[in-house]
Amino acid sequence: MSNSNNMPKRHMGLRTANTVSNVLIYILLVVICIVWLIPFIFILLQSFRVESTCQVGYVIPHTWGLKNYVNLLYSESSGLFGTAFSKWYLNTFIIALCTAVIQTVIVLCMSYALSRFRFKMRKALMQFMLILGFFPGMLTMIILYRVLKDLGLTQANAVPGLILVYVASSGMGYYVSKGFFDTIPKSLDEAARIDGATRAQVLWRIILPLAKPIVIYTVLTAFMAPWGDYVFASYISMGSTAGKNVAVGLYEWLSQDQIMNNYTMFCAGGVLVAIPVTVLFMCLQKYYVEGVTGGAVKG
Amino acid sequence: MYKKRITPALIKLVLGIIAAVLAVLFIITTVASVKAGYSALKPALWGGMLLIAAIVLLAVGSSQLVRARQFNRMVEESGVTVKEEKRATIGDFFKKIFDGIKRFFLSIGNEFKDIITTFINGDWKTKLSYLVMGFGCLARGQILRGILFLLFEIVFIGYMIFQGGYWLSMLPSLGKVGQHKEWVNVGGISVEKMLPGDNSFKILLYGVLTMFFIIAFIYTWRQNVKQNRIAEEIIRSGKKLKSGKSDLRSLVDDQFHKTLLALPLTGILIFTVMPIVFMVLVAFTGYDGAHNGIANLFHWEGLKHFQELLSWSNGSNTYSATFGEILTWTLIWAVFATFSNYFLGMLVAMAINKKGIKLKKVWRTILVMTIAIPQFISLLYVSKMFAKNGLINLFLIDHGIIKLGQELPFWEDPTWARITVILINIWIGIPYLMLIATGILMNIPADLYESAKIDGANSWQQYKKITLPYMLFITGPYLLTSFIGNMNNFNVIYLLTGGGPTNPAASTAAGNAGYTDLLITWLYKITMGEEAKYYMASVIGIMVFVVVGIIALVVYNLLPSVKNEEDFQ
Amino acid sequence: MASVKLTNVKKIYGSNDGTRNADQVVAVKDFNLEIKDKEFVVFVGPSGCGKSTTLRMIAGLEDISEGTVEIDGEVVNDLQPKDRNIAMVFQNYALYPHMTVYDNIAFSLRLQKLPEDVIFNKVTNAAEILGITDYLMRKPRALSGGQRQRVAIGRAMVRDSKVFLMDEPLSNLDAKLRNQMRAEIILLRQKLDTTFIYVTHDQTEAMTLGDRIVIMKDGYIMQVGTPTEVFEMPENLFVAEFIGAPKMNIMHTQLTREGGKYFVSPFGAKIEVDGIKGDMLAKAGAGTGEVILGVRPEHIALADAAAPNTIPVTLEVNEMMGSELHLHVYTEDGTRLIVRVPTMDLSTERRESLVQGTKLNITFSGKVMHFFDPESEKNLLT
Repeated sequence: MSNSNNMPKRHMGLRTANTVSNVLIYILLVVICIVWLIPFIFILLQSFRVESTCQVGYVIPHTWGLKNYVNLLYSESSGLFGTAFSKWYLNTFIIALCTAVIQTVIVLCMSYALSRFRFKMRKALMQFMLILGFFPGMLTMIILYRVLKDLGLTQANAVPGLILVYVASSGMGYYVSKGFFDTIPKSLDEAARIDGATRAQVLWRIILPLAKPIVIYTVLTAFMAPWGDYVFASYISMGSTAGKNVAVGLYEWLSQDQIMNNYTMFCAGGVLVAIPVTVLFMCLQKYYVEGVTGGAVKG
Repeated sequence: MYKKRITPALIKLVLGIIAAVLAVLFIITTVASVKAGYSALKPALWGGMLLIAAIVLLAVGSSQLVRARQFNRMVEESGVTVKEEKRATIGDFFKKIFDGIKRFFLSIGNEFKDIITTFINGDWKTKLSYLVMGFGCLARGQILRGILFLLFEIVFIGYMIFQGGYWLSMLPSLGKVGQHKEWVNVGGISVEKMLPGDNSFKILLYGVLTMFFIIAFIYTWRQNVKQNRIAEEIIRSGKKLKSGKSDLRSLVDDQFHKTLLALPLTGILIFTVMPIVFMVLVAFTGYDGAHNGIANLFHWEGLKHFQELLSWSNGSNTYSATFGEILTWTLIWAVFATFSNYFLGMLVAMAINKKGIKLKKVWRTILVMTIAIPQFISLLYVSKMFAKNGLINLFLIDHGIIKLGQELPFWEDPTWARITVILINIWIGIPYLMLIATGILMNIPADLYESAKIDGANSWQQYKKITLPYMLFITGPYLLTSFIGNMNNFNVIYLLTGGGPTNPAASTAAGNAGYTDLLITWLYKITMGEEAKYYMASVIGIMVFVVVGIIALVVYNLLPSVKNEEDFQ
Repeated sequence: MASVKLTNVKKIYGSNDGTRNADQVVAVKDFNLEIKDKEFVVFVGPSGCGKSTTLRMIAGLEDISEGTVEIDGEVVNDLQPKDRNIAMVFQNYALYPHMTVYDNIAFSLRLQKLPEDVIFNKVTNAAEILGITDYLMRKPRALSGGQRQRVAIGRAMVRDSKVFLMDEPLSNLDAKLRNQMRAEIILLRQKLDTTFIYVTHDQTEAMTLGDRIVIMKDGYIMQVGTPTEVFEMPENLFVAEFIGAPKMNIMHTQLTREGGKYFVSPFGAKIEVDGIKGDMLAKAGAGTGEVILGVRPEHIALADAAAPNTIPVTLEVNEMMGSELHLHVYTEDGTRLIVRVPTMDLSTERRESLVQGTKLNITFSGKVMHFFDPESEKNLLT
């Protein structure tokens, strides 16, 4: 009798313990989600505030309006899309697009070669690049700036200069895609080579179609990086308005002397920058997750 | 006889005792400062952290020691003999380096030997190739290779005569005559005019380029010699030489990697290797804002700047004192930033992955979405949110929780600023770590957990014995790279605090270093503005390289995934 | 259709393959072999013996460190795989996952830039022979293991290549399917009528498929011969033990000679070496002394305890295989032997009495013994 009483009781105990822990986890997750989303919701709300342009102690605008967005894209003197912000936006977009294309090609070349060929000095090359990575990249900025300046690729012409800088050394970021290539069985290459394909044909007709996730990952990360780069962009476009990217431009709006006038514009600008990147990212999220997890697992 | 090693336990115990002693000291300080009426926040924080560290270390160390000794006693009593696992020691590591160096010199010796024997044994075509590159190839019908070799030699000689020679000859002095005024006769009238002089910057830059070019030439020349030897061998064995056409064809086939690597490696060489070599050299010169090489020349100054950075005798308002402080903070920051993200990210991932939790995809998507938003937006916004006149302080004032003039000093007080930076970094980093952890957690074979459950392990034991070791094993290399990445995390620090609050002790002499400055942001500050001290930035850069290199080397040799690759496979 | 000739072929890993491994590993040592046109040759040996490496050197997937490989009289050392005119079937099938079965088979033909109608005919032809017509428009992932293997074979078939290489093609299949595919490969071979080189670790596959078998160990060829030759006249102890299942019983014993007759005395039982083997020993003028004696399990018989010159053993495990019993026994000094007895030879009661610990007596015929030199492990009769 006591036995039959005990059994369900214990069972219930287990289940309640589980329920309690699940409830705790739900609470934790809700809190996390709120904390993580709040700043972004705040930015969005404040971008619609038109009664004042400085920082205030409340979040929900007293007067709603699109003035901040209009000011970003239109001014009486320069017309629609003639504003500084439009120029920065276009700059960043061009940079991101070019970087995404060229960097992807370079990274894929590099990682395929390192994954599939066993040539002399291969290990040494990889170790060398690892060690190169220990040097703070910031240092090279000083000389690159002067070289680019001699070539006329700074200040107002910073866009091609920045593309060059971003793309030139991108071969060093081969780890993730090499890790992915390593997981594609080598016997596929071998079968194709026996079937009569050259190594180039193997890459083009066998490996690339199979590496679609990592190609998309590479394009995505390469496209996203320039939107957030501040250091190089500010150094190379120093002192010119036309050569800035969004990060540099918006950063200045928050400086001591501009924040009173430009804070809500910053929020609106931030929203405009975040929207395309976020939408693109959410569409390709699957590939990004695959790349990140695969890359970390491979080291 | 196999024995458990007790050294790890002893190390933990010793560290624990040290931490305990320090904690006691800090607690005494705290109590004393509270009594004296000073702010006690800083010592209290240190004391608390050290106390926690001490407790953890002592507990783990002692239990490890007890268990190891118990095991060893049992082994001794039973008389069982088990072969001891071979462990990689530091000695092995140095031996590897030594062997590497030895092999390097041996191979150079072999190259010379080969060059000489090829000359002695070669026919006249080969011998002439030593002077006229590509002659052997041309004479043997390998037109394409021959032309390329010859062309390279002509370009090289031309460059050296018209350009390279000058740059090389100027390299030791980095320029003799600076920009100067001179009386010039213009249309019969003597006018004082500014004349350009040498350009130290260009001399150094092109000097380095010329050196690269010379190395490339030597390498190509060596290849040229080698080609001759190989060609002779092939002809001797009665086979046919490769034609230019098949050379080209092999570039998309068996030599395809050369085609693939040519562009990326050229980019890396010109835009990374060359600048690094240049900047390393700058550390030994006097290149700064005032001596930019045009208006005022700069010259070689040897190890002077290294001494400046590393000598500790010059008082507090100097580079050396600031360097020590910033290095310490950089390391503390890197440890906290890396491990807080790592463990909290893992926790969140495990929470989402737990059986019975619904809407897994929604939780994950919300967190992942925050990755998409460019960091500069979120960081700048949050930075302003916590500012003195930012959202949070204004909100608190509006609601009468604090008074005007009593704003919370998120960015003004050094300790507040450091803690806020670390907390915000957690906010930035967790979604990313959650993704990585999720990927790995899902890869842990379910049967490991099933067998652990059958063996009677509870959830904590499962975490400790399966999840954590597995995660650490897989993510070892990632942890290392993310640690290094955090040491050089420019964006988070610069966009949040700009390095501030400024350290009054280090303000002028040492590039306005602040309390949250990392080495990398400090370096950036030093290179900005009229008073930029490029040589100092370069010295600091070299230091960063050394520190990072040492950490990477040590950790890499300790990593389980490098040591025993097959454990989890 | 072509002959293949390997002369002093060597494979050394770690010399120049970019791995910078200080210690070099020699995987294949001095391999010499001539494969005739339309011959079916099987490389067999335990894992790590170099059989796959040799095949891959013929295919051009591995560099040849030393020696030459000729196909149809032409040295192919420096040729790319695609220029060697070979076809190959891989152990894991190596089907292109993003292509349909049709495209997989057509891939090589498209690279040759053949017109689509020719390709269509060739692919459907091959598919028909292999019975995979129904699956032509599927992706490999939707196929079973056996079907994938057929596609892989189909892909190799359409190339009309000189040499057909197969690298453990059946290892990933389950036992039943493996037997079926083995039979199909025999049929395929009759249809294709070309030179086959087949690598396997399974001696049954080697025995059933090969015209000639090349048995390898540690990078060396141990013996080359027809299935009958390697079974009946193993050149050395390794081949003797490797070929045949269950494997040959090995006993250390003395060879003695009395009045022109040879005797062995394993475990105290004196057995005359008679028949062919006795003649051969006499012909070879074999000396007396220590030898390694090899007797296959099927040549050992159960005997009456009373009979003279039998060996007393204890039964350890009785494996009922269906048509036969495998009796694992050990002698008084602990040597383990296997006895193979046809099930039909024993009455039901006798069979059931064979439990662990049963004392038995065994004997074996002198006609079917193998003798190996205890030092060199070479067969005394070859």
